[in-house]
Amino acid sequence: MERLKTTAWLPYAVMLLVAVFFWFIADGIDYAARPGTLGPDFWPKAAILLIGITCAYELARAFFLGRSNDTQGLAATLTSADDAEEEVSAKYPRLLVAGAALTVAYGLLLPWLGFPLTTFLYFVCFMYVGRYRRHLAIWLNAALGTLVFCILFMRLVYVSLPRGVPPFDRVTDLIVNMF
Amino acid sequence: MLDILTQLGAGFLACFTPVHMAVLVLGILIGLLVGVLPGLTLVMGVVLFLPFTYQMDITSAIILLTAMYVSGTYGGAFTSILFRIPGEPIHVPLLWDGYAMAQKGQPAKALGWTLVAALVGGLISGIIMVFMTQPVASFALRFSSPEYFAIVLFGLASVIALGGSSLSNALVSLGLGLLVASVGSDATYGAYRFTFDLPILADGIEFLVVMVGAYGVGEVLSRLETGFTTKTIDTRSGAKTQLPSLREMLGFKMLFLRSSVLGNIVGIVPGAGATIASFVCYGVESQLDRGKKRLGKGVPEGIVAPQAAATASVGGALVPLLALGIPGSGATAVIMGAFMLHGVQPGPQVLLTSADMVYTIFASLFLGVVLMCVLGYFAIRPLVKVLDLPEAVVSAFVMVFCFVGALSIRSNITDLWLMIAFGFVGYAFERLRFPIAPMVLGVILGPLAEEAFMNSMISFGNDWTVFFTRPISGTIMAVIVLILVLPFMGRIWRRPGPGAGREDAGLRP
Repeated sequence: MERLKTTAWLPYAVMLLVAVFFWFIADGIDYAARPGTLGPDFWPKAAILLIGITCAYELARAFFLGRSNDTQGLAATLTSADDAEEEVSAKYPRLLVAGAALTVAYGLLLPWLGFPLTTFLYFVCFMYVGRYRRHLAIWLNAALGTLVFCILFMRLVYVSLPRGVPPFDRVTDLIVNMF
Repeated sequence: MLDILTQLGAGFLACFTPVHMAVLVLGILIGLLVGVLPGLTLVMGVVLFLPFTYQMDITSAIILLTAMYVSGTYGGAFTSILFRIPGEPIHVPLLWDGYAMAQKGQPAKALGWTLVAALVGGLISGIIMVFMTQPVASFALRFSSPEYFAIVLFGLASVIALGGSSLSNALVSLGLGLLVASVGSDATYGAYRFTFDLPILADGIEFLVVMVGAYGVGEVLSRLETGFTTKTIDTRSGAKTQLPSLREMLGFKMLFLRSSVLGNIVGIVPGAGATIASFVCYGVESQLDRGKKRLGKGVPEGIVAPQAAATASVGGALVPLLALGIPGSGATAVIMGAFMLHGVQPGPQVLLTSADMVYTIFASLFLGVVLMCVLGYFAIRPLVKVLDLPEAVVSAFVMVFCFVGALSIRSNITDLWLMIAFGFVGYAFERLRFPIAPMVLGVILGPLAEEAFMNSMISFGNDWTVFFTRPISGTIMAVIVLILVLPFMGRIWRRPGPGAGREDAGLRP
């Protein structure tokens, strides 16, 4: 028997664990019960059951029959031929990890550095991570992009974006008050 | 009838105000650009521009997003025909005949057929939409909570059954969406669910956070993993459009009508949308062409059918949104979000309370389709030049749009973290071939479904048979069962017989 692919069972195993975790949380929902009526835990439990039963079914199929899911939505019959073509592209997991780390760093730095500085740094780093190597274009795009975003969202369409803590908030004020 | 035409006329007049015309042109241009750029999908584009609509009045906001939606179904045709790069999955069928016609030395003609198909499909579906929405909404006013629950369930069931991936994966995705939607205080008891003592979670998770993360961040991360390796192309070619003659067009009048009406019908079905409309209509033409075996060799039928259907599906998708308050696709879900952000709940009541707004939106669709074709005709060269933009630069801007989109919802950094988390979920879904649409629709329709279900249970003493015994809800439930059985039937049809060869029985020529 062929060795079972990890992707054939791991996502379902993870989702089953998630379902079990949330089932126990749902059991602890605090409410004043009215006799003869469904409680606020009914609906989320129905959703959890849907996930749990589906995952258990797929795990059983994978381990006992050695097959992963094969009942497809109707559109799959129309598009499957082209999906096969997409498979060939090479993967760069390091780029993905770097991009994900940058995105998390953006969330961490935003309250401290403020929107303009964090966005500028993000633009520069992301373009380098995306394997773009025209240095002047990168720095210019980052500077202009940050400026346009600041004017657009902090002056025209007012969105309450983080200013940052001192002394970085002065940069935010400087850019916003420039125009 | 006369009443509808009068209101539509007033809608056209309202559309001609400078602000509405400006947002219409802007929406069409952005939609075309989004369609052309391979890294940006139609839904992503509409999601990313949602924050711009916060300061607009509701009519302008919906006009902008609807214009982007309709022109997004056309923009990708340029790159499919000229460079064999489908900007959207919608345009994959155009590779088969559009690109083939271009290879035969007639790219301008192929683009001309696409333009006419988009125009006719858009206008026919607009007419159907105008005359269909009012009766559907009037009918929906008779709905009580069991009927409403059944219709929402129909939306959820069809997105699973008609989707392009495994049924199990779609069910898991839907379950996750329903679970996410149940975070916060529940509408019936006010009890806190899954809040983990975080105050912001008491208000629930905004579905826009889920959409922006899953569609925007998830897609960019997926493309980053491939190293942004979209193939480089020479966009300096003299791309232009050559319209077919009137005689040529009249020769295909039934094809135009058939594809437009079918595309519109597919658009009405929640969960179907432009991609399925495009493939289904190409499939119908390939069945009709069976004996001649011309399709796939660069014939107008293979261009007109998918393009007319894709554009026609937009008008269809707006009917359930406006008449029932049910978004059937990702793009209409964002448009529903824009309605709700402006304090309007789409549904049967909206035609009674805000008919002027609805008819202005209808009129904008007609004007938008015409404008889209005019812009597509004259601005094809600059539009195609957009492909020269490096993907890393475009993606960096998309990511910052996503950040601003999340921060602008409640001005809270927790929304940014939730959006990033759903971005990772979106990436994982894409990588593992779990569809995102059921999760998003689960988040949007989950609260509506739960409220209708709980109200029905309270009103009918926990008698769940009420969904099956009332005529309208019973009929809808029967249709749901039928829809859910369809994928299994499809599996049986696809299963090769004992003597069957390995010949590909797909639609692809």
